[in-house]
Amino acid sequence: MEYLLHVFVLVCIYAVLTASLDILAGRTGLLSIAQAAFYGVGAYASALLAVRLGAPFLLTVLAGMVMAIVISLVVSLPSLRLQDDYFVVATFAFQMIVFSIFTNWMELTRGPLGIAGIPQPVIFGWHVNNHADFMLLAAGSACCAYVTVHRIARSPYGRVLHAIREDEVLARAVGKNTLYFKVTVFAVSAALAAMAGSLYAHYITYIDPTNFTVMESILVLSMVIIGGAGSMWGPLVGAAVLVILPEALRFVGLPSSVAANIRQILYGGLLVVFMILRPRGLMGKYAFGKGGTGK
Amino acid sequence: MSQVIVNAIVSAAGYLLVGLGFALIYSTTRFFHFAHGIVVTAGAYVAFALTAWLGLPLWTAMFGGIIASALLGGIIELSVYRPLRTRAASAGILLLASLGAYVALQAVIVIAFGSGTQTLRAGNVPEALPILGARITIPQIATIVVSSVCCLFVWLLLTRTQIGKMLRAVACDHDLAQVCGIRGESVIMAAFLLGSSLAGLAGVLLALDGDMTPAMGFQLLLMGMLAVIVGGIDSIPGAALGAVLLGLTQNLSAWWLSSKWEDAIVFAILILFLLLRPQGFLGKPLGKVTV
Repeated sequence: MEYLLHVFVLVCIYAVLTASLDILAGRTGLLSIAQAAFYGVGAYASALLAVRLGAPFLLTVLAGMVMAIVISLVVSLPSLRLQDDYFVVATFAFQMIVFSIFTNWMELTRGPLGIAGIPQPVIFGWHVNNHADFMLLAAGSACCAYVTVHRIARSPYGRVLHAIREDEVLARAVGKNTLYFKVTVFAVSAALAAMAGSLYAHYITYIDPTNFTVMESILVLSMVIIGGAGSMWGPLVGAAVLVILPEALRFVGLPSSVAANIRQILYGGLLVVFMILRPRGLMGKYAFGKGGTGK
Repeated sequence: MSQVIVNAIVSAAGYLLVGLGFALIYSTTRFFHFAHGIVVTAGAYVAFALTAWLGLPLWTAMFGGIIASALLGGIIELSVYRPLRTRAASAGILLLASLGAYVALQAVIVIAFGSGTQTLRAGNVPEALPILGARITIPQIATIVVSSVCCLFVWLLLTRTQIGKMLRAVACDHDLAQVCGIRGESVIMAAFLLGSSLAGLAGVLLALDGDMTPAMGFQLLLMGMLAVIVGGIDSIPGAALGAVLLGLTQNLSAWWLSSKWEDAIVFAILILFLLLRPQGFLGKPLGKVTV
């Protein structure tokens, strides 16, 4: 039972992450491989505040999100001017820089040693110290993230995002300042990813840089795409499938060292297969860059 | 100091080999082929399997590794990218598929060979030769020589021969080239085979000098990519210049600051270049947004 709850919490945390990427990639059409970087910024910011200064949970989450927003502005203001795949490469480079900082800034992050002893959350006197309570918290956060993404997507603001995804030049032609929309949606996405990071840090109570690698970014991207980018349930389904499927492999009796690699083969392979056979994902309506050739 | 320069040139030679293959494929197909990284790794590991498991002599095994890389590149193109292109997929989709292929294939290599480091060398570390107060090993010299020769070869191929013209025609406009009687798909296949064998060459040479890990190709690919973007992705001399600059930056920053920050510094430079001069030093300006 504990184990099932643990898997459920992980699904919820990843669901927050996929929601954060979906609003960027699925709704606005901006592919980013930096999601794990913001996830890490959130995790490190809130973990450090909690461990070093003893700040309360909600404050650390908020601080992580603000930190991610500030960093996202530094990244997005210049790099969103770039063309599609050059933007992807820029986010990639950013991901590598952030990972390098997590690993090497020993004084702040303790590098590969990681940060241990992160306190479990306390929210207005509610001690979240067992799996069932944490499940409630994680599920609540996931719901928040989904509601936020859907409220945004259905608003007039969201329609502009949709227009940018379909045809940015046209959106600009009808007088929308597309850079403004892209920068703000990137900030929202970063903030949500940071929220997932804070949850993760306070749940596992230990973080180190290996949680926030480029592979993690690719995993989240695979979840969104396999589930179905830009759809109501797609990102949630993607997160559930890619968390639960490898867990199921444990029961087949594979040694854990092989299981981790099977997991990689699974999501890498699924990503390729889905791109070829069903680019809109399990639940999705939107396929990346349909139509256009060599753009 | 002379050691820093020698090291810079050695790393530049490796990046250039990987970058050349990447640029060759990029300039014919216009998408970022991340699975190129695994092609590099696969070359090294196949060579390792041939010597360590089958006991073939080193030269044969290295040759086998290069062939295996070329084949792997060809297979990826045939089984992943070609179906996507026939569905008129965008560069973004191709990029995602290549990331997926990379992740899956790297895990295959880890399962087959373990995640630890392996080496192609039998016995001791070879004696380094002193040159101008710096030390350099035979495989390092070989890497520099092979890399320069390949660079020259690719440059001549692209600018002086019929196949080079065809490659550039497909790069410029796939449909128009097709109309003119060039078989676009075969030309792309040629680019993949040639580019991947360069990657395999890089893989075996670097594995001979240093060690190999399943993640080696990714790091090399990033550096190669960086070198060609900085130098100008459509320009072979630019790629060479970019590789040397990258090698120098890396080794100098390791020398002055600390080797732990070299990654952060080179990626920051990549972002700066993407922003300020996305066409690189010697490249032509990119077409902006197409409607």
